[in-house]
Amino acid sequence: MPAWGSLTKTDVIGAIVVIALLSVVPFVGSRYIVGIMTIALCYAIWATSWDFMSGLTGRENFGHALFIGTGAYTAGFLNVSFGLSPWWGFPAAAIVAVLFSLVIGIPTLRLRGPYFALAMLSGAVVMQKLSIIFSDTTGGQDGLNGLSPMLRSQVSAYYFTLAALIATVIVLKFIALSPWGTILRAIRGDEATCQAAGINVNFYKISALMISAAFAGFGGALYANYQLQVGPDLFDVALSINIIIMVYVGGMGSIYGAVGGALLLIGLTEGLRSFSEYRLWVYTLILILILFFIPNGVIAPAWVRVRDWIRGRSAIFTRRASA
Amino acid sequence: MSALLEVEGLTKRFGGLTAVKNVSFALQAGEITGILGPNGAGKTTLFNLLTGFIRPDRGTIAFDGVPLVGFAPHRIVNRGLARTFQLTRPFIGMTVVENVVVGCLAPRVRSEGHTEVRAREMLDRVGLGSKADLIVDALSYGDLRRLEIARELVTRPKLLLLDEPFAGLGTSEIEPLAALIRELHRSEGLTILIIEHRLREFMQLVRRVIAMDFGEIIATGTPGEIVRHGRVVEAYIGRGGDDLEARLGIVTESVRGTA
Repeated sequence: MPAWGSLTKTDVIGAIVVIALLSVVPFVGSRYIVGIMTIALCYAIWATSWDFMSGLTGRENFGHALFIGTGAYTAGFLNVSFGLSPWWGFPAAAIVAVLFSLVIGIPTLRLRGPYFALAMLSGAVVMQKLSIIFSDTTGGQDGLNGLSPMLRSQVSAYYFTLAALIATVIVLKFIALSPWGTILRAIRGDEATCQAAGINVNFYKISALMISAAFAGFGGALYANYQLQVGPDLFDVALSINIIIMVYVGGMGSIYGAVGGALLLIGLTEGLRSFSEYRLWVYTLILILILFFIPNGVIAPAWVRVRDWIRGRSAIFTRRASA
Repeated sequence: MSALLEVEGLTKRFGGLTAVKNVSFALQAGEITGILGPNGAGKTTLFNLLTGFIRPDRGTIAFDGVPLVGFAPHRIVNRGLARTFQLTRPFIGMTVVENVVVGCLAPRVRSEGHTEVRAREMLDRVGLGSKADLIVDALSYGDLRRLEIARELVTRPKLLLLDEPFAGLGTSEIEPLAALIRELHRSEGLTILIIEHRLREFMQLVRRVIAMDFGEIIATGTPGEIVRHGRVVEAYIGRGGDDLEARLGIVTESVRGTA
């Protein structure tokens, strides 16, 4: 299968339109909007990296915050405690997150059943507790503060985050469309059949988790370097669950859908501010309705429809032109 | 001449039940051999032992002179021993051709490249060429059987284990599938070990039968010898049933008559 085989011209044009729209945000939006959007882009990186492992292989990871938190704390320590440039935080965060993915993935991904999901969940909880207990080094509840900024202006931080997201989506989508992605989707289909086809499923599952962790750790460092602060809430179960919901709303296994899911839900949270104390009620109600009535997600399925409609129209045009 | 597969004293217990008891047999390259036996005789367990999905308690398996016990299933496939499942297990949500591409990505054959071309060629051979781009969920049961075989054949096995390939199929679907199996055997000299309950088609397909009951091999021989074998008849239709040969004979005649 050619690597970009199932990507059509329309998909690429759609992606360029979205990138163009995101690029004009700093020109039209206030400082506040740009700030929210930067964080939304971080969420989008986390959500796509979750989707790569769990959306493709079907092995749900209930503690993605483990990779985000370890990445963010790694960047924080290097910067605050060791005085290194913020840029060192990115590769270091990715490496540390990958190490954590191996510790959890190697023993649990070989097993059937919920062990992987539970180990990820408890891994994140344990790290959150440890970050509070060892408050001398981690700053406890307050976390690490006063990271030196990687970029001077808020706008350049926004563009850097956007570039990182684009790179993440391209790399992960490229792998998802390659033979690797075919194997990961086959694992989701039936692991035993995969083995009967001569595929070493454990190798592929663990590698997918490593890649997922690397991008999540990188995204964690990005968040830390933007917020200039790292706290134990980055290990929070709520964060892991939020990411999963974003991917579900975006459309599992599509990679790009997760970006839409993250932007949509962050936008929804902000848009509902006018409901003040009823905000969570309304947010939860909308979420339940989406998950109940559109279980395959909103963004990716909607895009597929729009794309087919555009292609249908253009097919009519070419037919008329040639007639 | 050394055998392609040599099984010696294979034993597997599940709790108090001995599913496979001291089973020994050998397969020569190029044979089509059948395993016959009533439900619970240990046939599928034997397949799972041979393909590494279950580890035996005792016994050895030598394939092409290499001991296989302890190998993971994917490593055994990459040595050239492939199997299909009794219940078809396609990769749901993927297209028919993608299902076969996964087999083309096995390390044993991956270096050949052109995975999609190879997958489509194989689908043409098993008669699924026109359905290659359908989502696999849309296939009929008979087509899923063909897909199972295609997915294993692209790994270029030396020995193919077929677990009840005719189960759940109508008469009209069985004959073409049996013809396909025969054709693969003839044109490529593929060695085949087959479990089947559809006696009539089974007996026409195989040259040699290994009959099992309660986890043990109770008889080995040609189809003709097996249907006359006392213990096989007893295992299949109980004591006093002596008309297995007659029943098979009559159906075989009637099939020949209509053909």
